[in-house]
This record gives sequence, structure tokens and C-alpha cells, in this order.
Amino acid sequence: MSMETQLEAANDRWSSDPLARRLADGDPAAPRELVELHHTALYRYARALLRDATAAEDAVQEAFERAFTALGKYPQERIKGLALRPWLYRIVLNVVRNAWRARRREVPVAEMPERTNEGFGTVSGSASGADDKEAWMDTLGALRRLPERQRVAVALRYFEDLPYAEIAGVTGWPENTCKTLVRRGVERLGMLLDESDGKNGIGGR
Amino acid sequence: MKNEESRRFGEEGSEERVTGMLGEAASRLTPTGDPNWFAERVLAHGTDRLFSCPSPLGEVYVGVSERGVRLVGRAASPEGFVRRYKEHFGRLLSWGTDERTRKLAERVAAALAGEKVEIPADLSGTTPFQQRVLEVVKGIPRGEVRPYAWVAREAGSPKASRAVGTVMANNPVPLIVPCHRVVRNNGTIGSYAFGAEEKVGLLEGEGVPVGELAGSPYLATPTTGLFCHATCPNARRIKPANQRRFRSAKAATNAGYRPCKVCRPVVSG
Repeated sequence: MSMETQLEAANDRWSSDPLARRLADGDPAAPRELVELHHTALYRYARALLRDATAAEDAVQEAFERAFTALGKYPQERIKGLALRPWLYRIVLNVVRNAWRARRREVPVAEMPERTNEGFGTVSGSASGADDKEAWMDTLGALRRLPERQRVAVALRYFEDLPYAEIAGVTGWPENTCKTLVRRGVERLGMLLDESDGKNGIGGR
Repeated sequence: MKNEESRRFGEEGSEERVTGMLGEAASRLTPTGDPNWFAERVLAHGTDRLFSCPSPLGEVYVGVSERGVRLVGRAASPEGFVRRYKEHFGRLLSWGTDERTRKLAERVAAALAGEKVEIPADLSGTTPFQQRVLEVVKGIPRGEVRPYAWVAREAGSPKASRAVGTVMANNPVPLIVPCHRVVRNNGTIGSYAFGAEEKVGLLEGEGVPVGELAGSPYLATPTTGLFCHATCPNARRIKPANQRRFRSAKAATNAGYRPCKVCRPVVSG
């Protein structure tokens, strides 16, 4: 219930989307299109926030299921007005927050954040050179070492290319707070990456 | 502002470097599994599934939950049916593109074509009384009819004939729960959600002698001393010469006949 009202509040700021209209009208092909259209973006976003590929896949699946459950209960007019992409980011964020909370109960705080060394779900052109691969994996690792709010803001800004107004809508934080979080996050990422460059002896002076 | 930020980074172009690396990392992250499989999994959990199916009433739409068939009906468009389903059950319907729904669709098509195929029905959206009534009606075989009073008694509420009529009128899964096989206590056909004419057509299609039933829904035979619903398989075996027709169970008992143990006519009073 509280999640639904939060989502509602987040949505007023965006204008509607043609797929939202079709979902509202009851087009039975629309739910699949919603998944196909947003799966990659939501996965990327979840990967930025969570430890590994499996956790990210699970979070995205749960987010879609929550989205469909909510759409089943929303009146037609409310669905018509939904800006689906930011709405979905918002649901992923709620799912991820639950995962973080669950994890905090399991793991002593001192051990967090943890270095990531899981096998990454790679990609077309993975033969593009070991150094390259190393670099983006380091970036991802460093991103996960940011405090949670900075991580969320940076991922929405630079993974998902959302403008600050939309980041504020997704997170519920004031726009200026989002700007500050992104600035500090990028700053800290720079330091973390320098650090790891130093350690690995790559790209140092 | 820009200068200030660069100073804070300590290194020239550091922000661009970091955001560039973030963009690179983002472009590398794609889901690993089969996207079609993922979509099916999400749709299977998050939505109920829809298919359309030929039936004696023309094309019908069928909405199914994980438990079974939940809504059957005619609609001008799939969208209209999906909206009706959502209003009733608070769930979205998506096309049943998965293996499980395709198989169920085949079974439903066979059942609606008159084959003896068991179809799971999800009656969870109905009251306990409605469920009992619908379960009873689901058991009425093709080619047979039963009166409202019989359904009420079988459902454990012998005085609820009228309420049974209401349950029939609101049956969410017509044809799957064959409410068209429930007729008035005097043997006349009575009403139907899709119209009385459709009801007559359906029953005639199933081999029910609709005309003979009106006014004489019970048959008895002196050879056994039993009386039946006229469509009971036992009644159909009575030779024409031995057939005794009755307009009510009471009239049959008054004439000294006992109720058949297979079709269990209701003897009131």
C-alpha cells in the first residue's frame, strides 16, 4: 500500500507513454512489450546497485512482477497517466532496498562493501582486450563501493542517462540533493579508481 | 563551477574520465539469459493468461490463472475482455504464449467441442456458497439437465433454489461450469446469461430432448418402481411402452414410485 502511493507520487511528474495507454486499454500484447522494452535498462540499473548477476536478475524479475500486480489493481485512468520507465526504476529501487536490508541482517556491517569477483555476464565483443574488460569491471566494482544513495544517483545519471528532475522523481529526494549525491559519487569514484589503478600498476605515472 | 569541480577532483578531466568509464561499464551490462524465457517467466507470475477459443456460443475469450480457468465470455474485442477480467479479479491478462497455456487452450477447445476432458476451474473469486453450487453444476454430464432445487440440495442448501438461479446468472465460467444444464423445476428451460435461445440451442446440440422435458421432467417405470430425471441414463433405458411421465417429483412419489439412486431427484415434504 505505501509502496503504491509512493509510486503514484513519483509518477505525477512525467507525461504519459503510448504503451501505458495500451496497458490501460487492456491490450493483451502490452505486458510482454513492457518486459521486452525495459528488461535491459532495468537489469543494467540493478547490476549497478547489487552484487552479482543473479541478484540483479532476481530483482528485475521481482520488480516486473510487482509492476504487473500493481497494474492489475490500478484504475484505467491511473495507468494511462503512468510514465512507465521511471516508474519501473522506482520499483526496482524498492526491491533493491529490500535486498540491501536483508543483506545487512546477514552480513556484519564491517565487511561491507565487498569486492566483487564474480563472473560477469559478458557481452558481444568480449575479445576486445583484457585491459579494457578489466577497466569496466573495476568501474562497476568501484561503483558498488559508494554509499547507497550516491550509488543510486550516479547509476540513474550515468548508466541510465536520466535528467536530475527524473532522478528526483524516481528516488523521492530533492533535485539539489540528487545533484550533490551525483557530484560526490563521481568524485569518490575518481578516487577509488585512482587507488585501484595505483594498486594494479595500470595507467599510473 | 566547472573549474571548482575540476579542482576538487585534483586531476584535470577526471570527471570526464569517470563518467566515460561509467558509460563504458553501462554499455557492457546486458542480461545474460534468453530474453524470451525471461519474459515468459515474468508474465507467468505477474499476469494471468488469455486465449480465445471456438465454442458452441461462437468465439469466446478465456482468462486463466495459475489455478485454472477463471473467466469465460464473449467480447467485441480482447481489450474489452481484459478490462472486464481486471475489474473482477484485479489482475492483468497477457496472451497465453507459454507452453502451459497453449496446452490448456487445446484441452478447453476439446471440452467445448463436447469431448470428455477435465478442465481445472479457478473459482477463488466466488463465495463459498457459489463455489459449492458451481462444483455441483460442473458435475452435470453432457446430455443431462437438472432442476434448480436439485442443485440447491446437492450443494447442501436445499431451500436455496432461488439463490442457485442467481449463482447461475453470475457464473464466471459458462460452458466450463455448464450452467446451461440447470433448468426450471417444472422442466422448462429458463433463462441464460447469453439468452434463452442460446440455451435451447446448446442443450439440443448436446442431445437433450428439450421439447419433451417441458411440463414432464420426470420419467418412471413400473418394472423397477423407480423414477428419474428424464435425462438420467437410467430413464433413457426405459422402453417407450413403460414410460410414465410426471410433472413433479411429488406427483411421482404420490403414484408410488421411489427416487432413482443415480440421479437422486429431490422429493420435497
